[in-house]
Amino acid sequence: MIARALRQAVVLLALALLPAIVSGALQLGWKDNRPLAEGEVRAETVREWGDKVQWVDARSRDKFEAGHIKGAILLNEEEWNSLARAFINDWDPDRPVVVYCDGGSCELSHAVARRLREEFKIENVHVLKGGITAWPEK
Amino acid sequence: MAGKVIFLALRTALAWTFIHAGVLKIWDFGHGQPATPDFVIAIQQYKLLPWPDLTVLLAVYLPWVEVFAGVGLFVRRVRLGAALTITALTMIFIGALASAWMRGLRIDCGCFGRDEVSTDYPTLLWRDAFILAAALFFLVRDARQGAEKDRPMFGERGRFTLP
Repeated sequence: MIARALRQAVVLLALALLPAIVSGALQLGWKDNRPLAEGEVRAETVREWGDKVQWVDARSRDKFEAGHIKGAILLNEEEWNSLARAFINDWDPDRPVVVYCDGGSCELSHAVARRLREEFKIENVHVLKGGITAWPEK
Repeated sequence: MAGKVIFLALRTALAWTFIHAGVLKIWDFGHGQPATPDFVIAIQQYKLLPWPDLTVLLAVYLPWVEVFAGVGLFVRRVRLGAALTITALTMIFIGALASAWMRGLRIDCGCFGRDEVSTDYPTLLWRDAFILAAALFFLVRDARQGAEKDRPMFGERGRFTLP
C-alpha cells in the first residue's frame, strides 16, 4: 500500500512538472518584457546613475531591518510623519530618489513616491521596477 | 449517508484549500500579473534555502504540485498519492513555519499568495495542524479502501479461500 501511495505521488509530481516548466518560462519571461508603469525605472538605468542614487525602502520596518539595499533609508506610510521629516532633512535635490518595495505586485513604493511628489514637490522620484529582487546587491 | 456527505465536504474543503493556495501562488488576480516573483520573496524570507536558483525553482514548481494534489484527491486512480503528497507538503509547511517562529522571523506567510500582514504563527500552525489531520485521515481511509478493494477472492496461489 505504501508503494502504491508513493507511485501515485510520483505520478502527480511528474504531471505537475510539465505546467510548471511552461508557467515558469512564461511568467518569468513575461515579467521581464512588461512595459514600465508611470514613474518606474529599470534596474539597469539606476545602475547607470551610479552612487548618487538615494534609495528609499518603502517596506515595513521589520523587513527593512531584515535586509535592504545598501545605503537605503526607511520611509514607509506606516511611520510617514516621523520618517518623512528625517528624510527631508537629509534630502539632496541633486540625487535622484529611487523607491522600492518587495517587487511583483507591491504598491507601497508607488504610494510613497506619489506622496514625495505631491507633499514635498520632489520631481526626481522613481520607482524601481521589480522591487528589491531586481537589485541583486543588498 | 450523513457520514459520506461529511467526508465529501471535508475532502472538498481540503482539495479546495490546496487548489486555491496553488492558483494564488501562480497568478495574482488582484493585479493581473504573475505571482511567482512574490512567492520567490516569500520563500526567501524563511531563510531556509541556501541557493537562490532553488528558491526560484521551488516557487515555480510548488504551486502546481499543490494544484495537482488538490485535484488528485477526486481522481480515484491517484487519490491515495494525492493524500500522501498533501500530508508531506503540510508537514513541510509546519516545519518551515515553526522554524521561522523559533528564529523570531516576522514575515509574510506566503501561504495564499501575497499578503501584507505579518504571519500570526499560532493561528497558522493550528490551521496547518487541522489540515494535516484531515490529510492523514484521508490517507488512512483511502489506503484501507484500496486494500479492501485489492483483497483477492482467491489465495496467493490462485486457490479459493474461505472468508
